[in-house]
Amino acid sequence: MFMTVEDQALNTEFLEQGYVIRPVADQAALDWIRDGFVALAEEALGRKSDLPPEVFLNHIHEQVPVPQLNDFRLRMIRGINAADALRENYYKLARTYLDALVGNELAMQLRVNLSIQFPDDDSSLLPVHADTWSGDSPYEVVVWLPLVNCYGSKAMYLLPANEYAPFDRDFVRLQGSSSEEVYKSIENKVKWLEIDYGQVMVFNQSLPHGNRINAEPETRWSMNCRFKSVFTPYGDKKLGEFFEPITLRAASRLGMDYRYPGTGK
Amino acid sequence: MKKLRGYIFSRAFLGERVPQAVQNLVIRDYCQRIGAQFLLSASEYAMDDSHLILEHLLDELDSVDGLVPYSLFQLPADRESRLRALTRVIAAGKEMHFALEGFAVRSEAQIPRVDDMWRVKQALADCPVSTDLAAYAGGTVFAG
Repeated sequence: MFMTVEDQALNTEFLEQGYVIRPVADQAALDWIRDGFVALAEEALGRKSDLPPEVFLNHIHEQVPVPQLNDFRLRMIRGINAADALRENYYKLARTYLDALVGNELAMQLRVNLSIQFPDDDSSLLPVHADTWSGDSPYEVVVWLPLVNCYGSKAMYLLPANEYAPFDRDFVRLQGSSSEEVYKSIENKVKWLEIDYGQVMVFNQSLPHGNRINAEPETRWSMNCRFKSVFTPYGDKKLGEFFEPITLRAASRLGMDYRYPGTGK
Repeated sequence: MKKLRGYIFSRAFLGERVPQAVQNLVIRDYCQRIGAQFLLSASEYAMDDSHLILEHLLDELDSVDGLVPYSLFQLPADRESRLRALTRVIAAGKEMHFALEGFAVRSEAQIPRVDDMWRVKQALADCPVSTDLAAYAGGTVFAG
């Protein structure tokens, strides 16, 4: 392949592990996003906080009762997605890695998702799944962003790429069982992805992943958003209703505009 | 509260067919989310490429704050007609919302966003599908 040594190394790491974790490509964009959440949370709570942002977010469970968590989360998601600059800033966090792993002509999910997982709360769990099992195209990747340091059960888990083949072979045996049994079958093979604020992860959403009850004393805040090369096949998540082209290049614009001389088509 | 007129299809569009009741549900939900008043939808004629109802709604823009088609892919496939429809809405100081996609065009600067989506969607018809790409990958044309 005609890639630079650096791009080749990143691609190899992604293929072998199923993910890469790197420093964010734009620290100002990251701070803009986290400051946005702090402001939204302060507004929802009706008071300013004098805590450092990471302490405020890590301990938000001490200020929001569990029964109000869903409304609080929806308010945060709607608030941050209402900001015009959100998606561009989110893209900037991983632009260089997306260029290398996916391409530089991208479609991006229209809405960026947010996960808030309180300590010991079982209402925010994502059972083991691969996004492709619910309609995503295998040509997509997920850019996953922690807004606080994520470690232990506060993190997410992923079945590494080199463990996928046996899972694939054994899956027929699990038909008719539950997602919990699927998780149990890979529990000792999944990798818990420790990742700090200031880092970003790109992962292969075709690999089984999810979270469990957060047994750490802090709340997890993380975001996720899907990207794909704009002209690769789409799954059930279509252009327009789910994805939007964000970096169309001149050659594609010329191609889309082209008409044979004198024919108009 | 802004008053938005619904616009739905009684035929398939770009290979998608959605029951009219479902189109209306999606529009109603979208209007509720953005705090707009949903005015009863007008249903486009079933004949291929017909946009006579859309043209009628464009003529009647004075009585509403904007239009809300179920999907942006219900705009005319012909680029010139599509851009003219969007420009008419903006020139009248109104808004064009798209319920399924969940966004609105409120200024001329936002029209290319819709146009890009349309043109990429049309170009995708000429792009390789998964089976083509799988066959290519098996061919190891650029092994290295």
